[in-house]
Amino acid sequence: MSEAHSDNGEPVVVVHDVCKEFHRDAITIPVLSGINLELKRGDYLALMGPSGSGKSTLLNLVAGLDRPTSGTVTVCGQSLESTSESKLARWRSRHIGFIFQLYNLIPVLTAFENVELPLTLTSLSRRERREHVEAALQVVGLSDRSHHYPRQLSGGQEQRVSIARAIATDPTLIVADEPTGDLDAKSAGEILDLMERLNREFHKTIIMVTHDPDAAARAKQIVYLQKGVLVEKTHAGQE
Amino acid sequence: MIPVKYNVRNLRVRWVTTLMTVVATGLVVWCTVLTFGLIEGLDHALRISGEPLDLIVLRKGTTEETSSNIDQKVAKEIANLDGIATDSSGQPLCSSEFVTILTKPRRNNGGTTNLIVRGLQDVGRGLRPGFKIVRGRDVRAGVNEVITSENMGERFQNLAIGEKLEINKVNFEVVGYFEAAGSSAESEVWTDLRDLTGARRQPGALSAVNLRCRDEESKTALLKRIREDEQFKLDAMDEPAYYERQMTASIGLKFVGYAIAVFLTMGAMFAAANTMYAAVASRGREIGALRAIGFSRRSILLSFLFESVLLCLLGGLLGCLATLPLNGLSTGTANWATFSEITFAFRFGPTVLLQGVIMALLMGLVGGLAPALRAVRMPIISALRET
Repeated sequence: MSEAHSDNGEPVVVVHDVCKEFHRDAITIPVLSGINLELKRGDYLALMGPSGSGKSTLLNLVAGLDRPTSGTVTVCGQSLESTSESKLARWRSRHIGFIFQLYNLIPVLTAFENVELPLTLTSLSRRERREHVEAALQVVGLSDRSHHYPRQLSGGQEQRVSIARAIATDPTLIVADEPTGDLDAKSAGEILDLMERLNREFHKTIIMVTHDPDAAARAKQIVYLQKGVLVEKTHAGQE
Repeated sequence: MIPVKYNVRNLRVRWVTTLMTVVATGLVVWCTVLTFGLIEGLDHALRISGEPLDLIVLRKGTTEETSSNIDQKVAKEIANLDGIATDSSGQPLCSSEFVTILTKPRRNNGGTTNLIVRGLQDVGRGLRPGFKIVRGRDVRAGVNEVITSENMGERFQNLAIGEKLEINKVNFEVVGYFEAAGSSAESEVWTDLRDLTGARRQPGALSAVNLRCRDEESKTALLKRIREDEQFKLDAMDEPAYYERQMTASIGLKFVGYAIAVFLTMGAMFAAANTMYAAVASRGREIGALRAIGFSRRSILLSFLFESVLLCLLGGLLGCLATLPLNGLSTGTANWATFSEITFAFRFGPTVLLQGVIMALLMGLVGGLAPALRAVRMPIISALRET
């Protein structure tokens, strides 16, 4: 699998010397320090580490949900540290697909409508949107559930709808925060299969935060974080 | 933009809270529209009474018919002045009238209140807008009969058709009900001029002369002539000016009405704000997800404001609809100019209903603003962590 990314062109993600601190009252809490990371198109990276090691913070920085205290984050050619909030929102809608641990589907919208949601931010026509939604639901194998509400679906199915939502706009980068963290082993396996397929078949670049070594093993690379510092980088196959 | 169905379905899903808020705002709008309808009805009663070409002639120094007196001889002279319009038979449209105030009991132990009794000549009927007998018949002169409006008949004791109204120990039989386009005439009791002055033991007494001018030009001339004649010692004003003065009756009501409306609206704003705060609090993660996906702060703000406005507008429409059965329902209040009862009907015209809807809109906008701001101020990451 290691060859997979060697023939890729421009890096999708470049994290350069990034520090992140949080301030609580007068106390400064360092979360990340001196992080350097590069991902090329088609990479599939698992971020691992104990709770509080800064995995999710790093993911949020790469996804443009947060800004670094120092250093630069460039994703899909866009420097994120100095971009305005509203520009970032637009940028995210075009380039990032999100998969959350708790799915974060909108309960009052059907599976179809949930997947369609990010597409309403594009200039696509109603018909084109429908085509995209149907294609995305087909990829995750839920075409027959498109009119079901999230409460009518199982956890695994909900996460598949969430994946369909993440890929509907055909983003460059997919960020997944503990995508299997709330699922039983069987559903988790299905989700991981799906993500692997997205990477292999659709050449999606993926960053996944996970606690689960089995989940991490499905990625092409694994990065370990400890107390805000990258301590180890391995290719999954080498573990 | 976040699809509208997102808001509509959220309101439907939280239907209990939605229903409670809708009912609360609905009640507020209902009360307010009711008050506005009352004020509008009262204004209408006084406004419609004033015909621009009609003059009311009173003794100099008085502003009310009830405190005015005019010599019979002078009244005749006025009737012969040039510039007065005539009816189809060539008779000048000039009516000498005597107005007296009686204290009479209301029905259903409503206490006593002042009642205006007007003695007038036949020609006086033509000077009132849309005068017509709707039940019974008109009075005959010389036999002590009165007519009034149906509304007054219902509000006062001894004032329904067939009953007898006592004026200075003389019984006047109620023989009919009339209408006069909702004007203030409908708050009066009418009888023959001589019968009334006879009963009041003031034969020949007159309070006022009502007349209609031929046109604007003769109106100006007549006003000048009557006011400036030293022998007459009279004052004349056109009816709109006369009733304008009486509209002070509605000032107190208006003040109380608007004050109540403002306080109730503020209360309803808190209700709306409360509901929307709960909505925002329970949808923290959704808001976080929407923003992560790429919806801007502005679209989230607009979405929550829209939801709040929708909520209040539903209530507003409900409140407005609930007032409709009361449209035209009559009521009465004291006319503070004459200290007598004035009856009028609720009027819920487009203006009044629009006021109600605008109020609901304001409740939604103002009540929803703080919660909507809260929704967009949450950092995305903390919103996503909410449970």
